[in-house]
Amino acid sequence: MDVSIAALLTQDGLTNGAIYCLIALALVLVFAVTRVIFVPQGEFVAFTVLTLAAFEQKQLPGTVWLSLALGVAAASADIVAHRREPGRMLRAIAGSAVPCLLSALLVWGVFATGAGWAFQVIATVVAVMAMGPAVYRVAFQPIATAPVLTLLIVSVAVHFVLTGLGLLFFGAEGARISPFTTVSFTFGSINVSGQSLLVYAFTAGLVIAMAVFFKVTLFGKALRATAANRTGARLVGVSPNFAGRLCFTLAAAIGAASGLLIGPITTVYYDSGFLVGLKGFVGAIVGGLASYPIAAAGAIFVGLVEAFSSFWASAYKEVIVFTLILPVLLWRSFNTTHHEEE
Amino acid sequence: MVRILSAAVAATLVATAAHAQIKVGVTLSLTGPAASLGIPEKNTIDLMPKKIGGLDVTYIVLDDASDTTKAVTNTKKLITEDKVDVIIGSTTTPNAMAMIDVVAEGETPNISLGGSARIVDPANPKTKWVFKVSQHDSLMADAIAVHAKAAGIKTMGFIGYNDAYGEGWLVEMKRSAETAGIKLDPIERFNRTDASTTGQTLKLMAANPQAVLIVGSGTPAATPHKELMGRGYKGRIYQTHGVGNSDFLRVVGKDGNGSFLPAGPMLSYESLPDSNPIKKVAKEYITAYEAKFGPRTTFGGHAWDSYIVLDKAVPVALKSGAKPGTKEFRAALRNALEGTKEVVGVHGVFNMSPTDHNGLDNRGRTMFMIKDGKWTLATK
Amino acid sequence: MKPRVLVAIVVALVAAAPLVAPPFYVTLLNYIGLYSLVALGLVLLTGVAGQTSFGQAAFVGLGAYTTAVLTTQYGMSPWVTLVIALAITLVIGYILGIITLSMGGHYLPLATIAWGMSLYFLMGTIESFGGFTGITGVPPVSFFGMALTQESHFYYFIWLVTLLALWCVANLLDSRPGRAIRALKQGTTMVEAFGVHPGRMKTAVFILAALLACLSGWLYAHLQRFVNPTPFGINQGIEYLFMAVVGGAVSVWGAVLGATLVTLLKTWLQDLLPKLLGEAGQFEIIVFGVLLVILLQHAREGLMPFLQRFVPSPKRALPEAGDRLQHRSMPAAGEPVLEVNKARKTFGGLVAVNDVSFDVKAREVVGLIGPNGAGKSTCFNLISGALDATAGSIRFMGQELTKASASAISRMGLGRTFQHVKLVATMTVVENVALGAYLRGTKGIVASALKLNRADEAAALAEAMRQLQRVGLAEHAHDPAGSLPLGKQRVVEIARALAADPILLLLDEPAAGLRYAEKQQLAQLIKTLKGEGMTVLLVEHDMDFVMGLVDRLVVLNFGQKLAQGLPEAVQADPAVREAYLGV
Repeated sequence: MDVSIAALLTQDGLTNGAIYCLIALALVLVFAVTRVIFVPQGEFVAFTVLTLAAFEQKQLPGTVWLSLALGVAAASADIVAHRREPGRMLRAIAGSAVPCLLSALLVWGVFATGAGWAFQVIATVVAVMAMGPAVYRVAFQPIATAPVLTLLIVSVAVHFVLTGLGLLFFGAEGARISPFTTVSFTFGSINVSGQSLLVYAFTAGLVIAMAVFFKVTLFGKALRATAANRTGARLVGVSPNFAGRLCFTLAAAIGAASGLLIGPITTVYYDSGFLVGLKGFVGAIVGGLASYPIAAAGAIFVGLVEAFSSFWASAYKEVIVFTLILPVLLWRSFNTTHHEEE
Repeated sequence: MVRILSAAVAATLVATAAHAQIKVGVTLSLTGPAASLGIPEKNTIDLMPKKIGGLDVTYIVLDDASDTTKAVTNTKKLITEDKVDVIIGSTTTPNAMAMIDVVAEGETPNISLGGSARIVDPANPKTKWVFKVSQHDSLMADAIAVHAKAAGIKTMGFIGYNDAYGEGWLVEMKRSAETAGIKLDPIERFNRTDASTTGQTLKLMAANPQAVLIVGSGTPAATPHKELMGRGYKGRIYQTHGVGNSDFLRVVGKDGNGSFLPAGPMLSYESLPDSNPIKKVAKEYITAYEAKFGPRTTFGGHAWDSYIVLDKAVPVALKSGAKPGTKEFRAALRNALEGTKEVVGVHGVFNMSPTDHNGLDNRGRTMFMIKDGKWTLATK
Repeated sequence: MKPRVLVAIVVALVAAAPLVAPPFYVTLLNYIGLYSLVALGLVLLTGVAGQTSFGQAAFVGLGAYTTAVLTTQYGMSPWVTLVIALAITLVIGYILGIITLSMGGHYLPLATIAWGMSLYFLMGTIESFGGFTGITGVPPVSFFGMALTQESHFYYFIWLVTLLALWCVANLLDSRPGRAIRALKQGTTMVEAFGVHPGRMKTAVFILAALLACLSGWLYAHLQRFVNPTPFGINQGIEYLFMAVVGGAVSVWGAVLGATLVTLLKTWLQDLLPKLLGEAGQFEIIVFGVLLVILLQHAREGLMPFLQRFVPSPKRALPEAGDRLQHRSMPAAGEPVLEVNKARKTFGGLVAVNDVSFDVKAREVVGLIGPNGAGKSTCFNLISGALDATAGSIRFMGQELTKASASAISRMGLGRTFQHVKLVATMTVVENVALGAYLRGTKGIVASALKLNRADEAAALAEAMRQLQRVGLAEHAHDPAGSLPLGKQRVVEIARALAADPILLLLDEPAAGLRYAEKQQLAQLIKTLKGEGMTVLLVEHDMDFVMGLVDRLVVLNFGQKLAQGLPEAVQADPAVREAYLGV
């Protein structure tokens, strides 16, 4: 292996690592606020790319039906939960179901009017973001206080449902979208595309923004507090349900942004989310599901290991990646103090 | 809800009480990693006529989620619960292999759609009940080796799925390449949902073989393809018949132009000469398919071929006097399938025998080239 | 209906099933049996011991591959390969167990995913294992020359194994090591205080779960007669966890219920949905997921605890109290029991305990008091072994404690309670107390699983009953410990400590959070124990509570000993008054 190959592999590792990193950030965010290990995070990425790809092929995106289904589910959950208080029912529906239903309309409208690229991007992002609170409302809000294990299993069930719907509405084959920029830069023998620079910049920016938001701002701290103490959070004016919906919206937004960034560099499938999510999960856990910068470092480590092992022994790539994680986990585990729950 | 349920129950009762009919059990990978293959196969089942040999046909379609345990469970269910006369499927090689013992024990003929020749290996006595209508990987590998040799290629790189499909191809391609005097190196693997294949591509580029064979099914096979082209690979790229759908063409885009693949003639029946009997059969099927489900795929074609061989074998089996639904009928159908002679399908012409439960010959493979984003008949 | 009757009905149903059920249901029941075995291991590992594992499918694969490779390529008998498979799993489970179980928090589940993935891809990549395509022609299992090729025959074999495994695990959970396993979720401090080695116990449970999975895999290979990697991937690992959680991971029957529910639900959806929607295939997984979400929203602990609410638990007779266990020789009154000499503990630059010295003599009740932040708890932790002293010496019955582990200290005869009550809420009161007698029993996991522990078990429960009578809670023996009010839970903790037959009883702020009447009762109990000749060291914040209760007081402030002596003298000490009252 010479220097230029090593440099190319590093670049590839960084790009993949950045994708895992974006997933890891969203996982840490969702866990820190709701204690949910959000397995379906990768689905948001996939849905974004597949929606935009459908627009580009002049087909009606399956997103219309997906959003409609989620919206109807969220609305029915609210109707059942507040059947005796019409006022609260309407407010709840406005917060969970209406965005989904409206975004279904928006996606259909953009398709029907043949609006341009910018509108397609906006409609896609809005639709995917609206799925976040709806998913939270339907699946997690009713059991927000359940043990982490139950939440995790529900999360896996939601993943089954979302990939199932994804297969139904988008089909089994993958798609790519056209890049935001075709600019590329040359550093020595290495050619770096503008698109991957965008990925790096966005990822780095997001790591810093999230760390600052949750460490420094009062609102960020209050959000984190909802995970530990729901009553306490309510006392300081943060409704746990609102916090849950908000962080799922943010997670979906990160998913949508990741989709826009990676869609042009790689082919995305309805079930791409799982393996990508798993590697993001590795990063998140390395960060102890608490630290954004360490989660980011963990995710990038996975990306780099993957790139180099696919060069040396591609048949054993996953074996190498997942075996190398073990010592890292051991090391992280010994360096973190575990507080025994009193 | 209750009303729907009771209606469903009533419908089932009526169906069972009806006169002699043929039951075709189908287990396909409609979800999971092989869904892109299984779905067009299932669509094709929907197109199949509801009468064969003058008898009503019921198709019972089950999803095996690309999982061997589920494929076996489905097969047992079709045999013991539904008492089907024949089973079509499954989609992938491991699933098809797992079903061999079960259909042999249940004495039910099975028309498999998987790729590997091992599914109907005559050395295994249990495969007596198993037939296979898709081309053997070996047939296709030979086509590539012959084509490459004719172009003077001496070295070929390999990058294939890290699963049963890639594995089956690797075995066959090693053999074919050796026969043709082609050195197969380096050998790389990748996963269906891999976001990038840079490492493998760089290794291939460093070795710089005269050709590279990419073994994948559908759009994922475009990932190494695009990466090779993007990094300026100048040699020849071969794909396998696994990419025979329009989604692959869409994703690979202009990077696909100039690459070759062996596939069943149906992939581009329009370019066949009128004298080729396959053209008419393929046209009929593809016109019906495309009107209902969109662009053709070669996988759907395999499912259609299973119907074509059944359509010929059922009347023969009925002549034996055995009633559908009986053990005797299933045995007669098995014999009839084994006696398939010169039956023209969309992927080739079938001539089966006790030692060959596939029966496709060189008429079952055609070398195609991607030109201007379309499949065209390949020249040397 | 008595649980025994329910079990008998289940066994009868299992025995009759192949005679009456359609053949396809026998197929399904075979798989349910295989899945139940794996889920049973998860009930033990995840539900009871609190260690989440996604990697069980890899152990199933280990069992299946070992036998498939050895029988097809080396012509070995399946019975030989069973022993080899279990041995390999034992070794690999042990190695993975000591590596991964030392990880706390979320690291463990991820580690199980990691080796689950590694093993899966390894199975597919090794050529002699048949690669991803798999191995055909695995021979059937034979009994005395009769090959179990027919499903209905194999059915009895599978369910015999499964029911035996259920019986063993149920026995295990209701025994000395079982109580320790059930207490693991409470954290390590509590179990260590009764002499349980939590690391070893977790590893044992992990290996047991792995062996059950391996057994399931071995059966799978000989049922299916074909093996390839897909059924052992991470998805299946998740599905096993699904079964355990949906069934209710706290009960052994939850495993069977979960496996049955998941399997039947999928089958019924496969039948029903095409009839409702006129379309086969892709809807099953969606509806399946939706139903599971709804189910867990209404029964978050899983189905079994949900159903148990409708089956009133029968009134059980109280076990008979008795004194059948060995006792230690107790020191004579006035002999030194605990000698603390210039004990020091620093955390970084902070000196939490600064050269504190005091002693406790046999049959004495000593109070260690001080205002908040005085260093009482640190001092307590030094004695109980939860912390190691930086300098100085602490001797118990003449032996040095400073470097001893918590469980060694408990072995020497030091019993303790916890400031924040650490009872296992789901265990009954008498089971909690019996945990205290852990070190006085001998029967391990294997003996308990096979029910060769009757005498041992009866003696432990009799001892627990005796201690409950001693503290006056005998009538609550069969109540879940979590259902008692805090005051009574504190008393249960004292009974649990007494069950260990301690020389010295260490009470950590026993009056904290209690109401006045509860404090009175507690004080009365301590007086009674003192009257019976118990030696007690009481760490307390509440000075009024200890007055009139103790023989001597030691007062700490800012990590240093402020005063010591008779209660009245100490109370009159101006320095103490200043520290406590600020005057």
